[in-house]
Amino acid sequence: MSTEAALAGFQQAYYKHDALELASCLKPTPVDRLYDFWRSTNEARVEHTVKHAITYGLSGIERSEAQGWIDVFVGFWRASDKIIKADQAQNQGRLSERHAVEVYETWKDLVQTFQKYIGNGTLPHWIIFTLYFVANDLRRFAIKADAQLAKAKPVTFSAGLSDDIVATTPKNQKLEEAARVFSRIFALCMSDRNPNLSESRKWAVYCIANLQFKTYFKLKTITLCKNLIKSIEAQADMPPWNLYPKAHRVTYMYYCGVIAFLQEDYNKAETALFNSWAYCYKGSTKNRELILTYLIPCRLITKSEIPSAQILQEFPHLQNLFGDLVSSIKRGDLAGFDKAFAEGEPEFVRRRVFLTLERSRDIALRNLLRKVFLAAGYEDLKEGQTEKDRMRRTRIPLAHFATALRMGSGGGQTVDDEEVECLLANMIYKGLMKGYISREHAMVVLNKKGAFPGTGV
Amino acid sequence: MALPTTTVAWSNPLQPPAYNPVAARTTLARPPPAQPAAVPSEKPKKVEWTPEVRDYVGRAFEPENTIAGISKEDTTNKLRDVLSYFAERSQLEGIDWSTYPLPQELLRDERAAAWAQAQNNSLLSSPHGPANSTFDTPQSKKRKSQDKTDLSESADASVPPWRRTNLESRITYANGHSEKRHKKNALSGDATSKFDQADLEKRKQRFQLSKNGNSSTPPWNSPKPDSDADMDNTPCVGTNMSLEKSYFRLTAPPKPETVRPQHVLEKTLAMLRKKWKADKNYGYMCNQFKSLRQDLTVQHIKNDFTVKVYESHARIALEQGDMGEYNQCQTQLKALYSQNLAGNPDEFTAYRVLYFVYTCNKTDMNDLLAELTPADKIKPEIKHALDVRSSLAVGNYHKFFRLYTIAPRMGSYLMDMFIERERLHALANISRAYMTVGLRFLTDELQFGDDDECREFLESHGASQAIDKKLDEHGKPQFRVKVKEAASVFESLRQAAFALVDIKGQK
Repeated sequence: MSTEAALAGFQQAYYKHDALELASCLKPTPVDRLYDFWRSTNEARVEHTVKHAITYGLSGIERSEAQGWIDVFVGFWRASDKIIKADQAQNQGRLSERHAVEVYETWKDLVQTFQKYIGNGTLPHWIIFTLYFVANDLRRFAIKADAQLAKAKPVTFSAGLSDDIVATTPKNQKLEEAARVFSRIFALCMSDRNPNLSESRKWAVYCIANLQFKTYFKLKTITLCKNLIKSIEAQADMPPWNLYPKAHRVTYMYYCGVIAFLQEDYNKAETALFNSWAYCYKGSTKNRELILTYLIPCRLITKSEIPSAQILQEFPHLQNLFGDLVSSIKRGDLAGFDKAFAEGEPEFVRRRVFLTLERSRDIALRNLLRKVFLAAGYEDLKEGQTEKDRMRRTRIPLAHFATALRMGSGGGQTVDDEEVECLLANMIYKGLMKGYISREHAMVVLNKKGAFPGTGV
Repeated sequence: MALPTTTVAWSNPLQPPAYNPVAARTTLARPPPAQPAAVPSEKPKKVEWTPEVRDYVGRAFEPENTIAGISKEDTTNKLRDVLSYFAERSQLEGIDWSTYPLPQELLRDERAAAWAQAQNNSLLSSPHGPANSTFDTPQSKKRKSQDKTDLSESADASVPPWRRTNLESRITYANGHSEKRHKKNALSGDATSKFDQADLEKRKQRFQLSKNGNSSTPPWNSPKPDSDADMDNTPCVGTNMSLEKSYFRLTAPPKPETVRPQHVLEKTLAMLRKKWKADKNYGYMCNQFKSLRQDLTVQHIKNDFTVKVYESHARIALEQGDMGEYNQCQTQLKALYSQNLAGNPDEFTAYRVLYFVYTCNKTDMNDLLAELTPADKIKPEIKHALDVRSSLAVGNYHKFFRLYTIAPRMGSYLMDMFIERERLHALANISRAYMTVGLRFLTDELQFGDDDECREFLESHGASQAIDKKLDEHGKPQFRVKVKEAASVFESLRQAAFALVDIKGQK
């Protein structure tokens, strides 16, 4: 196949102004699709053949733009060359970190070529969305390169002048480098001063930001996300939020929510996550599940609210993850809660919800104590009182709560009396229970009204 | 120990070179004695050479392109290999010869890579490095070179003799040109070094070009420089014998005569431990440990002894509450343990848990929890630390203060870092839940030594008004604390304490 034929798809996409289709021409996967273009030329001739194909293929475009596309496709050819060689090496079982790094480096050159020509206005503004897809592939290649590098050299020596033996060189060196490339692309979008909004690169702000979020999460440098959000919020002349594609908005809100969640700003997290949930495409189960993974623990904290059985049923994975926990909370079953919590721990930790969910044990405890309160029944009616004035008993011996706790903890752990007091004090301190403890009388005196706020008693 | 001076070196200009098989020098400091521009006589006759190839061959033998340690013969052989490789594939025209690395450059990189490899391998088995003991004496100049080719080529007049004998040339830097350059300028005050700098720059660019523009480099070509190779990566070998040494931050590659080898450092550690027990002078101790760590680092000593040093320093820093140094050691230990070196990983994992409790760093705590295996979690030290964590997470101060009393090893030193904060937290809690409590109750719950200590704590935290003194029937004073009255005081103190988590030493 000739180079011209191999680039026919690009021409079509270009004339249609279809950024997505154009991006699919530059897709590095599956490797098979790269062969036609790769075979059509060779290292020595690639600049020549691509130049020929572009200048004759795209008639009537500016010389400078043509040069931009030539550089892009020469870069793409070089990257393809490395990808194919890495693929062949893998098939022969001799894939080394060198291959992965070469793929990453050549692909980075490609991204930077795009960036350069978009930045100086040579390539049309809508190419920024193509760049998003190309940059996303850079993220994948960087992760692969880092994995290969980590396999090759698990720990590095430090540079000669540092004081300590193990170098602080990052484990994810390539991905960090890629993150810097992305933030330059982000700046490229943000800094577009074009007064004609319909041609502004600002339309790519959120999708590039999402790419950066994803990268920072992988790098575990979540604090960097905050700067990104701040800089977007500080930008005055952004296009209207609701004109952005839903896909960009939902993902962006999701990340904002998770970031707030991790900073323990649960109210903000809940708003963002709920927004994301409301606009999320109903068919994308995976994404809706991800949103709920954080929204459920969030609601447990903000509203002491457990998810309905119906919603858990809809997502079997979440049912597995939260089902036992939620039903234990509902029953006030501390032993059940501890068991479910310990079983889910690896997954909770992985999802970074472990430390938040731990706090929902309070709700299980609250529910247990509430049962003690209800079981205490009513005060005897005094003279002149009717059934309507009947009051619940609000002075409850500490021993009753202690018994409940010992039963509730499954008998395995011993709970001494001071610990019972401590747990009750916590409930009061956190506002889940109203009243006070009297040590002299070994009693808990609960409020006559609203002893357990929000639970109807 | 005397550093062989240039005069000494000059006096023996014809001795065999004693340098390593690595090309220590990347360029020459001075234009070497004139050398006839060699016409390559070895090239095969049959092929038609293009002007570009001829030019390349010419450049390969130009004196300013000569690299110390790579003989003309080697260069010639390498050149022949390169040319025949491309000739066989009829790719001679496809190569940009003006940017293709010269044969001696290829050789140098190959050797450097091989040397680095050998260094790393030998380091694993012998931390002293291969050339440790023979190194500092003047006789070492007579030490036989390990490189036969270099021996046979000792007449290679292009290498000035002071370069060969200078100690500097033994400390090899895989890629640290700039530092070395710096050093060399300082040593020789060489007027031509600027010229070298420019040369170096040019060479660098050639590499750059060939990397980007030429993908069909032969398979024996040097691996692409990666980040590690960019760094100064070859260990120094110490010769200093004194036990004590003050710490100074390095600004230039260390001189071997200022660095102590491991067997000396081992004695140093033993001495420091004894001294610490005797007079607990932390300022001195910290300084000594930092220089000890530095000496280990520059010699790339990474073994059980290294772990011991870091553990010792971490414990002493912990005892002193120096969280900055402690944290540096902890970071290093984490990486060292991952190499399966001997040590006490459980103990220090537990400290890490407690440290993150102290810093309230949820993200790091989560990452740490993700690392722990089920087997780790039942180790006594780690289990204790995890219990501390969870007791605080659910506000179970009762359990927390019980755990404080039974902290294994040096856990209580770490817990001391946040015990006051947690006492305030518990007090804020108690003051909402009770009206009044006995002082003894607080003493017991918050694990004060005795009632007086507890009272002092309350008084120093602005709650003296709330303490009520009564005499019981035997005339003994009984203290009660009207906690409710001090609730807002405790609450604001608690908030202030948690807002002020000092995380110095954290990167």
